[in-house]
Amino acid sequence: MNKTQKIESMMEVVRILVGLVIAYAVALAILFAISEDPIYIVQQFVLGPFSSPRRIGTIINLAIPFTICGLSMCFMYAVNKFNLVGEGIFMLSACMVTWVSILLAPMNLPSVVMVPVMLIVAMLTGIAVSFIPAIMDRKFNANVVVVSLMLNSVIQSLATWILRYQMRDSSIAYLGSLETPASIQLPKIFGSFRIQSGLFIAIICVVVVAILFYKTAFGWKMRLVGANPRFATAVGLSAVSISFIAQLAGGAFAGIAGATEMMSNYTRFQWTTTTQHGFDGLLVAVLAKKNPVLVPIGALFLAYIRIGADVVNTSGDIPTEFVTVIQGIIILLVAAESFLSGTKNKLIFKAAEKEEKAKEAKAA
Amino acid sequence: MAEVMRMQDITKIYPNGFVANKDITFAVGEHEIHALVGENGAGKTTLMKILFGMEAPQEGKIFINGKEEKIANPLDAIAKGIGMVHQHFMLVPSLTVAENVTLGAEPMKNGLFDFDGAVKATQEIADKYNFNVDALQKVSDLSVGQMQKVEILKALYKGAKLLILDEPTAVLTPQETEELFEQLFKLRDSGVSIIFISHKLEEVMRICSKVTVLRHGRCMGSMDIAGLNEAAISKLMVGRDVVLKIDKEAPKLGKPVVEIQNVVKINSIGKNVLDNVNFTIHEGEVVGIAGVEGNGQTELSEVLAGLSSFASGDIKLNGQSIKGKTVREIRDQGMAYIAEDRMVEGVAGDMSIKMNIVADRFTKPDFKKGMFMDAKKINDIADQYIKDFEILCDSKDQPVRMLSGGNIQKVVVAREFTSGANFILACQPTRGIDVGTAEMIRKTIVKKSREEGTATLLISADLNEVLECSDRLLVMRKGKIAAAFPKANEVSEETLGEYMLGVKEMTQEEMEGLL
Repeated sequence: MNKTQKIESMMEVVRILVGLVIAYAVALAILFAISEDPIYIVQQFVLGPFSSPRRIGTIINLAIPFTICGLSMCFMYAVNKFNLVGEGIFMLSACMVTWVSILLAPMNLPSVVMVPVMLIVAMLTGIAVSFIPAIMDRKFNANVVVVSLMLNSVIQSLATWILRYQMRDSSIAYLGSLETPASIQLPKIFGSFRIQSGLFIAIICVVVVAILFYKTAFGWKMRLVGANPRFATAVGLSAVSISFIAQLAGGAFAGIAGATEMMSNYTRFQWTTTTQHGFDGLLVAVLAKKNPVLVPIGALFLAYIRIGADVVNTSGDIPTEFVTVIQGIIILLVAAESFLSGTKNKLIFKAAEKEEKAKEAKAA
Repeated sequence: MAEVMRMQDITKIYPNGFVANKDITFAVGEHEIHALVGENGAGKTTLMKILFGMEAPQEGKIFINGKEEKIANPLDAIAKGIGMVHQHFMLVPSLTVAENVTLGAEPMKNGLFDFDGAVKATQEIADKYNFNVDALQKVSDLSVGQMQKVEILKALYKGAKLLILDEPTAVLTPQETEELFEQLFKLRDSGVSIIFISHKLEEVMRICSKVTVLRHGRCMGSMDIAGLNEAAISKLMVGRDVVLKIDKEAPKLGKPVVEIQNVVKINSIGKNVLDNVNFTIHEGEVVGIAGVEGNGQTELSEVLAGLSSFASGDIKLNGQSIKGKTVREIRDQGMAYIAEDRMVEGVAGDMSIKMNIVADRFTKPDFKKGMFMDAKKINDIADQYIKDFEILCDSKDQPVRMLSGGNIQKVVVAREFTSGANFILACQPTRGIDVGTAEMIRKTIVKKSREEGTATLLISADLNEVLECSDRLLVMRKGKIAAAFPKANEVSEETLGEYMLGVKEMTQEEMEGLL
């Protein structure tokens, strides 16, 4: 029994490593095929992201929204409701934060008041939006995936409408909102690394979600409902309302992610399409196996390969699109739980056989 | 009369060591409706799966029309003239009757599916055997009885000469059953042999000419129906392999704990799956429910556990009605529930042993410390129960799915026996687990009733278990209580079998005072 568990956890690591190796091998093969100078490109792809403090900082900055979006998806994933509305929430919450901050600007409130207020606005936005697919799932058994994807287009148009008709700055040549008050613009930290102070928000979020998942009754409820909803019902938990609340909580974190991105990187809201962050959050949650503690690692990894692609793109003859291919392979191999399961079962079988023989020898 | 099919000395042992069939010989003649009867788990389904090519036996031969054949898979079986109608229909609801019937052997025209040809062919067979179905109708618009006809047509279209019907009347109304029998007679007369699997002895007596009885994977004999009666068949079907004994003193009955009053539950097709059920369980007694599976036991347990609702009547637990209450409320009122299928409702396999043990109680205030869970208290409880119930594991943090069946069931009972409830609803508590664990669970059930005054409802397909653990014994059939006995260990298997299979039924007066 003990051995079985060891083999299971060992194979989990091996599986992810083999997945990564295969993905890199494919990437290298493609590079060798399409590049004039593959060795240089490979070097750039693997080491490029670490070649300057600025680039390392960019990895971390990119990992910040990935982390918070990943946490958001952990809630959905934990209760097995693939509510993908995080994508829309990310955009709408950035939009709402901008709008509310512009409306509050005349009051000249200090940062210590404004930033928390903005985060609350973002969370309320997230909860309100994810309420729609969640309630439709609960009351009408409407598929959350379909509803949330459709809702994302609605939200995109809504955010664009707010931008165009409620807060457009007509004095600039492009489509953008009025400038946000300085009190909500988060500073950069660590000198030449130029890391966003949103990092602290992300760290706090990870700690809060990890505690929520593993130390509180609600986290236990969510995990039980996700693992076996019929069992959860039979021991007296309300599977329906728990997964409903989990979706709202996930929405709140997607809201925080959008607000953090807005306050850290922009002085005007200027998105007219959604930003893929919500879907990246899903990738991160899958990579982290819905464990909030592992979410930052998944997020950093995703950010690292994205920056690698950017570096290759600017310094060589390779289009960024190729990174999508590698990404796809990695996610596929990491998410495919049965990958290498044959090897795993063989190992378990051998271990069991060995144990039996040992027992027999002992008996003899 | 020539034999169309003969299975000779079939032995099938599953990888987990379960002997499903042992040296079974079974032959079907021409123009014959042959009944295959036996309790759940007697090996009927396995035997038919072997005949239909879905399972490979370890030993034995199969002869079709006197010639030895190997049946590799269901397609092979169909090619050899064997057709099977499964208990759960295998139809595509969004397609028409004709499309379903011809699926797999479609008539073609110019390399494309010939829909008109399919309709024509289907209608021809349907008319030939007097099957009143419209080939152009969509399957989703049909009644259950008509769907079954489509299933039979499917087999006939593919040229079946031997038709296996697995409990065909279980889903039918009495009128539909009559109609089905008429058609079976017609099929028999036109040269199709039929294997009729059923628990309903009156049907077997009515339509079959021969019967083969299986018990615990062994063949108890094949006989002509003429000259047999239902009691004789039931005696062969129901019996115990090894008689198990549990020593227990007479129960000291206290106040009523569970009062079930005129409970009726109607399922989605309008059948009364619980039909005016009435009985009471007192403090300190174990009430057993025996019965062929599918006679309302599952529905009764779901209703009692608060997992499904009922149409009328009332259930009181410790004096309060449970009607419309949530599972949480019913559990707080004093119910503990050992679910029929432990992997579905008994545990969350991916979660730790610890979480599974406290799953029913961690939300309560005494498991909290401020905002958080009281980790120390939970760990202590888990360690204690792992020790008390001798759960073999590495640690309390191990996922439950890594344990053996018996140890998983120990996790379930560790939770349910310690929940503080005074009513334990135990459904198939020892199904598929090792002898040692089964004994521990049975003894604990009896011990709790004697020492703590727990009221227990034991629903089990294991005759040993219901006869030995229970004080009072009830038999369920067709959603009703068909019999009641004051002392379970004095009931003979023969008598029990007769009531389980509907050979006899007690009147309300006979059961007076025993419910």
